[in-house]
Amino acid sequence: MSGPLAGLRVLELCGPMGQYAGKLLGDMGADVVKVEPPDGGEARRVGPFADDVPGPDRSLSFWYWNTNKRSTVLDFDREEDRETWRRLVSAADIVIEDRRPGELDAAGMGYAAAAPGNPGLIWCAITPFGQDGPWAQFSATDMVSLALGGAMMMNGYDPEDAPGAPPMRGHGDQGYATGCHYAVQGILAALLWRGRTGEGQFIDCSVHEAVSSTTEVALPYWFTQQVNVIRQTGRHAAASRTERWLQRAADGRWTLIFGVGRDNASWKRIKEWFQSKGFGRQFDAPRFDDPAARQPGRGSPEAAEIFAELQKFIAAHPAEEVYRGGQERRQAWGVVRSPEENLADPHWEDRGFWVEVEGEGREGQPVRMPGAPYRFSATPWALRRPAPKLGEHTAEVLREWLGFET
Amino acid sequence: MTELPLSGVRVCDLTWVIAGPTATRILADFGAEVIRVEHGQAADPIRFGRPIAGERPTLNNSGFFNYFNRNKKSVLLNVRHPLGMEVLHRLIAVSDVVIENFSSGVLESWGLDYEAMRAINPRVISCSISGFGHTGRDRRFTTWGPTAQALSGLTLMSGLPGKPPAGWGYSYLDHTAGYYAAIAVMMALHHRNRTGEGQAIDIAQVETGMVLTGPAVLDFTVNGRSWLREGMPPGNRAWEPRIAPHNTYPCAGEDRWVAIAVRNDTEWEAMRRAMGEAGWAADARFAANAGRLAHEDELDARIAEWTRERDAYAVMQALQAAGVPAGVCQTAGDRVERDPQLQARGWWTSMPHPELGESGFDGVAPRLSRTPGTNRTASPLMGEHTFEVMTGTLGMSADEYAEREAMGVFM
Repeated sequence: MSGPLAGLRVLELCGPMGQYAGKLLGDMGADVVKVEPPDGGEARRVGPFADDVPGPDRSLSFWYWNTNKRSTVLDFDREEDRETWRRLVSAADIVIEDRRPGELDAAGMGYAAAAPGNPGLIWCAITPFGQDGPWAQFSATDMVSLALGGAMMMNGYDPEDAPGAPPMRGHGDQGYATGCHYAVQGILAALLWRGRTGEGQFIDCSVHEAVSSTTEVALPYWFTQQVNVIRQTGRHAAASRTERWLQRAADGRWTLIFGVGRDNASWKRIKEWFQSKGFGRQFDAPRFDDPAARQPGRGSPEAAEIFAELQKFIAAHPAEEVYRGGQERRQAWGVVRSPEENLADPHWEDRGFWVEVEGEGREGQPVRMPGAPYRFSATPWALRRPAPKLGEHTAEVLREWLGFET
Repeated sequence: MTELPLSGVRVCDLTWVIAGPTATRILADFGAEVIRVEHGQAADPIRFGRPIAGERPTLNNSGFFNYFNRNKKSVLLNVRHPLGMEVLHRLIAVSDVVIENFSSGVLESWGLDYEAMRAINPRVISCSISGFGHTGRDRRFTTWGPTAQALSGLTLMSGLPGKPPAGWGYSYLDHTAGYYAAIAVMMALHHRNRTGEGQAIDIAQVETGMVLTGPAVLDFTVNGRSWLREGMPPGNRAWEPRIAPHNTYPCAGEDRWVAIAVRNDTEWEAMRRAMGEAGWAADARFAANAGRLAHEDELDARIAEWTRERDAYAVMQALQAAGVPAGVCQTAGDRVERDPQLQARGWWTSMPHPELGESGFDGVAPRLSRTPGTNRTASPLMGEHTFEVMTGTLGMSADEYAEREAMGVFM
């Protein structure tokens, strides 16, 4: 079995902003060639590094975002290599690049020059703000995109937790990832169009627009009521303050709890659980039988009492026990984990989620990292090769794609 | 109608809340015929979701629902009625894609696992989004977006050191799980167009967050470091690459902030000049990144002194003109009313809706030069297209429809 994109040639010229798009296609079977400058460029300079020793093949960020790609080094200061780029473009089905708008066209290396000779070519340009408009030439980082796109103004703190705290940026380059999620949606739509008509096209992917379309209730509130939502600690931004979701457990870890016993069946399960541990004895009183009275936000004394008892219960138990106990009683509760803590959760093992890679400094000692975001029954996600070493495949790619003799 | 990339693709949309409807919004934007199958006795809770127009929810006045369900049709179908289930089978038989985001196990309880669907429609692409997926010991566990964010590690990766996690003030993973579902469906359509083969897709929402923490996981498996260590998460300071200044700074006005990221010494020089070459900034301790990192508290305090009296957009403009990445922390109102970039690119539009009036929408990202996604209709009223789909798509006679309606099939 091979991925659904097997047979497609993808040329990638991307740094940290656009490189995930190439991984998403490569992980599903496309032949992705990453063109890199002789020093490897920015993507290989992002840490952390294996054993904290920097080096082009030691960036763990690079290891992760560049699986299933081959690396070809070209020096765009040399006309010969610029010409090789043009020839690779003419052999490609899809090009993904994240250079400034107009930069490649100015050197005769962009879509404008390539399209006439390759009418089926799909060219996706990922930029911070899009190809035109007053901010087109502005610079952005992941944080700047999350700020302008509106994500940050929804993340932060209640004043009593952190007075005067700024809006917060979630880490992990989520703005770049969001831009790449949209880039790939566009590429696949264009691919389906090409399948019907043979026609390629240019895709203008603005990270700013992608992030701005990823802010859930914020735009509806503005469109409907001209209201801006306010930030709250560890829970949804809202038009006005709401009940807390994060509760500290006995081991100091955070649980995420919302809604207790919305329906009578789950309330019964929760009540029995609490009472078996010596909590919530008062819950047998008939006034707790009304589901409406139990819901937070109604301001009823019952809801307040349940909430207070819940806090005591959680404070007396380890977070993972609260999480599992709640889930076993059909509550969509969670525990705030650090990413690597999922390595110890056997559910992901059951699903075969983790994959193993080797890299410089860990040769012969495979290490685990996340695998597939989706399971396809016929054409599965597969790790066919780890992230490439710098220039590892230059000769091989030029031979395969262009017939160069070496 | 203009031909779009997914014109001719029919989606039997059993989704609700946000993750599933996000996926089908994308497919609809690019031209798929998305038919929402809705249930009067178990309505999509987002149909009651605030914000709403007016005082109380009517099923058809939620701005929240409207935003995620543009360009779609809605049919009412009572799947608890045997004839309702039969209609659903007929709809599956003529659909290219069936997509759902119930808890794992629900569709099986309807007798509609992938094998059953394939018996009805051998080429069907079935896409399921659940919290934990359809395999594994905890597959019966359930999530909302924030649950998945907490478990995946993303909640912990947002916040100030020594404070509770700030997390995500919205269901980032409802969007993101929807994005992966739309991507998966389009990949499966590409494969089917080439081979005729359909397939089943299983998406676990928690995994769609875990795949976005790769470098943090590797920092543990390679270097043994956890985000639970002292000083983490680092607020708005940079994790990797470690650069300074990199933070949010207060500006004039209430709750106004600008994000500034200086990536190298050249950009620091540019920022120094943009700040009017203040004496403090010439300090040799700040000349190189390592020094700026070593004196980050003082550096951030000094920059905040400069930004505090200034308009956030003016700070952004001055720094961007000098080549320094900077951006205002924008509210939704800022984006819609003030952001000159989104305005110049014609990002905002509106479409008429019977109860919401001229309702606002954003455009379709990304922009395809030949076949851009389009905004065609606001969200459907509950069951608005029942008659049209039953008599048109499924070819029921008017009598047949009336008979079933009288039996309570379309409610």
